[in-house]
Amino acid sequence: MQNKLPLYLLLSILLLIVLAAVSLYMGVYTFEKESFTALLKGVISNDNNISDSDRFVMMDLRLPRISMAILIGSALAVSGTCLQGMFKNPLATPDLIGITSGASLFAAITIVLGSAIKPYLPEVVQFSLLSIMAFVGALLTMILVYRISTSNGKTNVIVMLLSGVAITALGFAITGFLIYISKEEQLRDLTFWNLGSLAGVTWTKNAILLVIIAISYLFLINKGKALNAMMLGERDAQHLGIPVERIKKQIVLLTALMVGTSVAFAGTIGFVGLIVPYILRLIFKSNYHIILPMSAVLGSVLLLTADTISRTIAAPSEVPIGILTAFMGAPIFIVILIRNRKSM
Amino acid sequence: MKHITKTLALALIVLTTISCKNEKEKTDETTTTTDSIAVVKTQRIISLNGALTEIVAGLGHRDEIVGVDVTSSYPEAIKETAQDLGHVRSISVEAIMALKPTLVLATNRDISPELAQKIELAGVTTQIFEREYTPYGAKKTIEEVANILEDDGAEQLKKQIDNGLEKVNVLKQQPKVLFIYARSAGALMVSGKNTPVDKIITLAGGVNAIDGFDDYKPLTPEAVVKANPDVILMFNSGIQSLGGVEGAMAQIQGIDKTNAGKNKKIIAMDGGLLSGFGPRLGEAAAQLNSKLAQSTNAK
Repeated sequence: MQNKLPLYLLLSILLLIVLAAVSLYMGVYTFEKESFTALLKGVISNDNNISDSDRFVMMDLRLPRISMAILIGSALAVSGTCLQGMFKNPLATPDLIGITSGASLFAAITIVLGSAIKPYLPEVVQFSLLSIMAFVGALLTMILVYRISTSNGKTNVIVMLLSGVAITALGFAITGFLIYISKEEQLRDLTFWNLGSLAGVTWTKNAILLVIIAISYLFLINKGKALNAMMLGERDAQHLGIPVERIKKQIVLLTALMVGTSVAFAGTIGFVGLIVPYILRLIFKSNYHIILPMSAVLGSVLLLTADTISRTIAAPSEVPIGILTAFMGAPIFIVILIRNRKSM
Repeated sequence: MKHITKTLALALIVLTTISCKNEKEKTDETTTTTDSIAVVKTQRIISLNGALTEIVAGLGHRDEIVGVDVTSSYPEAIKETAQDLGHVRSISVEAIMALKPTLVLATNRDISPELAQKIELAGVTTQIFEREYTPYGAKKTIEEVANILEDDGAEQLKKQIDNGLEKVNVLKQQPKVLFIYARSAGALMVSGKNTPVDKIITLAGGVNAIDGFDDYKPLTPEAVVKANPDVILMFNSGIQSLGGVEGAMAQIQGIDKTNAGKNKKIIAMDGGLLSGFGPRLGEAAAQLNSKLAQSTNAK
């Protein structure tokens, strides 16, 4: 099982590449140049082989959007997996315990307060500020939920979920109030905050996401074995020489960072952190050594599929992506509840 | 020997950088020459506002319209020849690009700056009009559109507006008109000051029954009773969503306590006609004026 990990990863990355290529060709607009190689050549060589519209749709609409789906899908799935490992519970996901709400609340506040100075800031600073604020929101929520629900290293699942419900309700009320009083265009879009959308993608946002995800994975992606040990009990893991407290701190900080940035750029896309680890657990049991790196790729597969459907199913308009992920995720949520009702 | 290779390598590097630079300059030149293309006479136009669609069609360029938004309801059959792209708020750039437009027209009230920016980036000429809801503003927009299309038919459309406005008669007593925007009984809004509907009520010789706020606000029964309008004005689509005049009387709370409700004075007009402030502005004002005259005389 252990030595097969590279093979599984390779296969799922291949699947992702195929999906991305297919997704590039799906949409309302049809390219004049049919073959993939011709398109690629035209874009790279910068001669006038392909029309400006082709180039624009590929380089400024579809490619950045596919990249964003891959980045955010991966970030949300890994965040979910890490949190589940830390809380030792399959229901600990960023959206269910209220971290997503905390992030979107702070993002909304930033947009309202920042609208006055927005025109004077370069794009990079604007988006960085937004992601930093969303990160602060996510982090504060995470610390709050952890403090409320965990004592002596034991997490009370009911309390964890209910504190998530409470924070989500509070966040919803404040965000709703902000939207009500705000004249700011960006904020008026309620569906964006509730159901998410990748339509606002820019290369700048993708670059910020890429940096944050790279830094986070540097610390998190190889923590599978440590999480396996922590499943047995934190004290035993400590005896095995695993720095439990430090790993927990890293998970809290980095998942808040990833979730915060994702929410700031794409709104609230729920259930990704629940679906992906659940499916992986069905196949690989609770072996985090395999689940954690695999969730990074499968999260991308899931969100890329969902976004491609959202772009194409009701063309020329778009179905909010959160509707699709909720359709996939809510039944799984219920199944987990039924399976674990004895142990709750 | 070593020296030779070194110098050769250096020379190579220098050469490549120079050639790269040359290439850059070349591409720059090509872009500047392509910028000044001769103006194409027939356009592929996407119009993202009902009034703009009317103006383009009124100027005789109807066949050049390839895409419209949901508010473009006139000329009636426009959506049979042009693709309906839905609400401007939720239009994707890709849907616009797929129609391969040469010109996109929109108003600053409808289109979000991000969408406009993206269409510009795609290399499509985008014209965004500031609307002013007065006869002068309607004529100004007609002129602006005509200029862009290099068409000299603006005068005729402007005359059409004046002809209609001349038919507006002064009403003996200015009726207080409450405009209710209904999508269904659960979503009723009333028009305050400075909306297109507020302006057309004034043009047609009425008074807006609401003068406490600007724009639209959700309707409350108390506000209806307090405003006590003589006439309720609605869009045809709004009346239909409430199930006709009787349905509206039954569903809008507080209406039966007002003059309009007691005398059953509910008038309905086509939304695009009433609030478009396009070429049919005169016609809209005259029509509303005659309906108001009827409702006040019939007391």
